[in-house]
Amino acid sequence: MLNGFTLALVYALVALGLTLIFSIFEIINFAHGEFYMLGGYVTYLGFAVAGLPYLLTLLLAIVVVGLVGLVSERLIFRHLRGKTLNAFIVSLGLLWVLQAGAQLSFGVLDKSVPSAFAGIIRLGGLIISVERFVVVLAAVGLIAVLYAFLQWTRLGRAMRAVAQDPDGAALQGVNIEVVSMVAFAIGCALAGSAGGLLAPLFAVSPAMGALPVVKAFIMIIIGGMGSLPGAVVGGLLLGTVEGLGSLFFSSAAVNVLGFLMVIAVLLVRPRGLFGAA
Amino acid sequence: MTRLRSHGWIIVLVAVMALGLAAPAAAAEKTLEIGVLGPLSGGAASYGVELVRAAEIRTDEINKAGGLKVGGDVYKIKLVTYDHKASAADAATAANKLIFQDKVKYIIGNAVGATCNAVQTVSEPQKVLFAFVCWGTNNLGPDKPYSFRSMLSQWEVAEPFYRWVKDKHPAIKKIAIISPNDTSGLDTNTAVVKAVKSLGLELVAEETYERGTKDFYPILNKILAKKPDLLDVAASPPGEAGLILKQAHELGFKGAKGWTAGTNPASLVSISGPEAAEHLWSPLNINVKSDFVDAKVRKFGDEYEKRYKEVPGAIAVANYAAFDVITKAMQEAGSVDTDKVLAALTSRPYDTVWGRLAIGAKETYGIDRQFLYPMVISEIRSGKSVDIEQVLPAALKVMKK
Repeated sequence: MLNGFTLALVYALVALGLTLIFSIFEIINFAHGEFYMLGGYVTYLGFAVAGLPYLLTLLLAIVVVGLVGLVSERLIFRHLRGKTLNAFIVSLGLLWVLQAGAQLSFGVLDKSVPSAFAGIIRLGGLIISVERFVVVLAAVGLIAVLYAFLQWTRLGRAMRAVAQDPDGAALQGVNIEVVSMVAFAIGCALAGSAGGLLAPLFAVSPAMGALPVVKAFIMIIIGGMGSLPGAVVGGLLLGTVEGLGSLFFSSAAVNVLGFLMVIAVLLVRPRGLFGAA
Repeated sequence: MTRLRSHGWIIVLVAVMALGLAAPAAAAEKTLEIGVLGPLSGGAASYGVELVRAAEIRTDEINKAGGLKVGGDVYKIKLVTYDHKASAADAATAANKLIFQDKVKYIIGNAVGATCNAVQTVSEPQKVLFAFVCWGTNNLGPDKPYSFRSMLSQWEVAEPFYRWVKDKHPAIKKIAIISPNDTSGLDTNTAVVKAVKSLGLELVAEETYERGTKDFYPILNKILAKKPDLLDVAASPPGEAGLILKQAHELGFKGAKGWTAGTNPASLVSISGPEAAEHLWSPLNINVKSDFVDAKVRKFGDEYEKRYKEVPGAIAVANYAAFDVITKAMQEAGSVDTDKVLAALTSRPYDTVWGRLAIGAKETYGIDRQFLYPMVISEIRSGKSVDIEQVLPAALKVMKK
């Protein structure tokens, strides 16, 4: 159960990035999981290969993936704002390009990243590794920083304005181009941070982005497309259901639970828990 | 000038005739295309990579020696490889491509049981000789006469391995096993459960997971609550077995560890770290540098390491041996016709990198199609695989009698 929360919080970072990009660009970036994968490989190179301190490597993963996101926005995605079908095809293409690039650069085999923090914490009957505890703290910290940025900074408020009404925001003097570019970079950096956080827990591999992005889609459909609080609440709900489910069902059945939730939400409340009508 | 020009024409004519005469001689050298399948990406990728690399080494050896002389022909071998990502659907597509598009009559190399079944639906009716390292029981049988398993499976090793555990470590009583939820995994679990129960040991947990799983905490929490003395990661591939052991170590598991159908400890340790894999026993692994193995294995291991900067595991050795045995059988048959090669293949034992290799185990599968050779139990010590003891599979004991 606790473990379900740990992973849900990290996948919520992926979901937040995905939904941030959706709210500004009105497109679904299917290559979002590949930015998570890039974060994993930056951590592998920085921490496992170069021997840099883990937290510095995590920061590096956020910055590097953010920059890659920024370049992707300038070269590709800024031309696709609002063009759902074009963006769907282009982002699928980018997914394959980035995966093949990782395969050519690092090979097809999993690469191990050593544990960043050793030891376990016992709280009564609860057992959690120090490493997973640090991951929880880091994920909560990053979500809090994102919330503060969007709530209290000028650029963050501009992003919310563009998400609500781009034309209205432009009339108020908001530079849509700059805001979109930064939002895309932040969205990718969030996925990169998730990759960096989970790399020492799991190995890194070219196809590692598939699972988190599926979970992220489930979370944002439950929470409501384009809603940032919805992504976090959707993540926590999914974590709770999967955590509880794993106590009673096989792993195959647990994987289905998230999709059952999606079907239920789409039938009963298609806009999700926090989505706009 | 005219004379010179006419002489020139004669020279050109002679050259063309010489080339024309030479052409049939060159045509005598033929190309034999051999298919290699396997997961080349995803959690089981190390299996496919080893299969392909071993095939490349043996192919290069044959081609550099002038080709494979079969009857009056000399064949250059060309490999055709496809990645099926451990998916049965992709394997069926790849088998169709190999057999109907590339026209191969031999597929030497494949891993993951469900994919073998998928390939066999195409290979058997087309009489394509198919050698693999998949561990499903139903991959061999009288209804699949063109299929061979080139590596010992859980059905050959589980009983002797657990007998060894019981004899050498009598304190171990409670066993837990975990495998992928597919043909290879379920079959391995069945073989281990049968061996464990027949030896009077207690099975406290039998779990499966979906391939590609990264987080094993939920399953491990269930398993470790039963307090097993030995955790067997059974049919888990190196990447996933490494993660299971790493996460079990994080959760404080201190018991013994087994890997009944494990094959590449170096890959496992690279994921789990040496501490989490310490004292892991495996009956299927091969340490190519050990004193237990034939000098030919050490030579193959050196070449593999030189080329790919990695140490080969048992799957690489098995596929190298399969290529070796099947190409020798082609020479013995004097033909590349699969029916004739099949007859030659099952007619006698062959000397291979495994040592003397027999094809048998009719008592298990109803047909002699299992490669049999001595198995070695190894242990991970400080991140390195160390061979402990050589044991004979029961089927090989039967044949020796």
